[in-house]
Amino acid sequence: MTCRLADNVQVRKENWGLLFYLETRHKVFFVRSGDWLYPEHFDGTWTFDGIINDIARRTETPAEIIERSLPRLTERLIRNRMIIDEVC
Amino acid sequence: MKYADWPLSAPVNLTWEVTHQCNLKCIHCLSSSSVESPGELDEAECRAIVDQLATLKVFEINFGGGEPLLKDYFLPLLRYIHTRGIVTCISTNGTVLTDEAVACFTGNPLVNVQVSLDGATPEVNDRIRGQGTFHRIIKGIERLAGKNIPLSINTVVTSLNFMQLSQLKEMAGSYGASLRVSRFRPSGRARDSWEMLRLNPEQLRGLSDWLGDDPSILTGDSFFSISQDGRRHLGLDMCGACKMTCCIDPCGFVYPCAFMQEREFCGGNLRETTFKDIWDNSAAFQYFRQLEPEACRKCPRFNSCRGGCPAVAYFVSRDLNSADPECLINWSRDISAAPPLEGK
Repeated sequence: MTCRLADNVQVRKENWGLLFYLETRHKVFFVRSGDWLYPEHFDGTWTFDGIINDIARRTETPAEIIERSLPRLTERLIRNRMIIDEVC
Repeated sequence: MKYADWPLSAPVNLTWEVTHQCNLKCIHCLSSSSVESPGELDEAECRAIVDQLATLKVFEINFGGGEPLLKDYFLPLLRYIHTRGIVTCISTNGTVLTDEAVACFTGNPLVNVQVSLDGATPEVNDRIRGQGTFHRIIKGIERLAGKNIPLSINTVVTSLNFMQLSQLKEMAGSYGASLRVSRFRPSGRARDSWEMLRLNPEQLRGLSDWLGDDPSILTGDSFFSISQDGRRHLGLDMCGACKMTCCIDPCGFVYPCAFMQEREFCGGNLRETTFKDIWDNSAAFQYFRQLEPEACRKCPRFNSCRGGCPAVAYFVSRDLNSADPECLINWSRDISAAPPLEGK
């Protein structure tokens, strides 16, 4: 499964996480993901496992912690229509 | 911590006044627009600024002025901005629309258009925007309506048009547009018309109630301080100046917001320094980010509004540490203190 930005959504990296912007509603959405997530993770090429490995490699966080926390974050983003999950 | 306190590497959106030239002379114009200012940015300079904003991933640029459509390079600049993926909102008086402009806006997912109209009848609108403007504006709205252009009618709420707000909403709906209301603030020419056009406390309460009952009405910034809590989640809940937004003037000066274009609040000029440098390092911007008006700190609503609109406070009292005189607490107090009306 990969994730990509939903249509009409933009995102940028901030030092506390990611700032999403919904073009049609002119709304912003704050995600305190620290150094875990980057906009590139939602370009449609990253698998969920790939993101976990990338975070673990960069932040030296144990993979099991990421596996436990990341779904909550991505589910929130899907629920708020910031990203879309796609089956590869 | 409120979201607006989360430090941003760049604004979410900004207001860009591309010119001070305007064919109208509205008595409440926030930038006193009429003729082009000496030294306005040229197209190449504007494009270079756009490049900076795109690199910083500024999401949205709101064009105002002055009448942006009077700037000869405005449409080419707009097209250039769209190649960089930035959303734009064009605030126009609707009287100088060309076929080229309408074609540029039509079906463009990165365009939103806002036409200013300050009354539901010529009698009211024309007192503010000038004789004969009502019919010219309506013609402009008709040219834009039904063309797959996200369209809103923007009304600055004043004592003159306060009673026509519902009518304005209906009128907007009849063109497939939304009604967006803005606060009347005493900057630019509005300083001279402030006493005549400002809402009284009863009208502020009426406006707050009306907005509370109708979430479909769009509001500009700064309504958080005059509105009841029920509406607060619909928009920014504290002043976003220097935190989420700012303003570029026609000559490249950068200010905290369109209503705070005073030399002392200037963050810098884009001919001399980068946008990023102004946003991160200018003393004025740093000051605004930590501004908590003294007059408000003991207020029970302080945590929810942080002092209201500094532009209103400043232009009324010349003191950034004073309270927004139109905030919910102030208008409620004024109503309570008023003697009962005879026969009521």
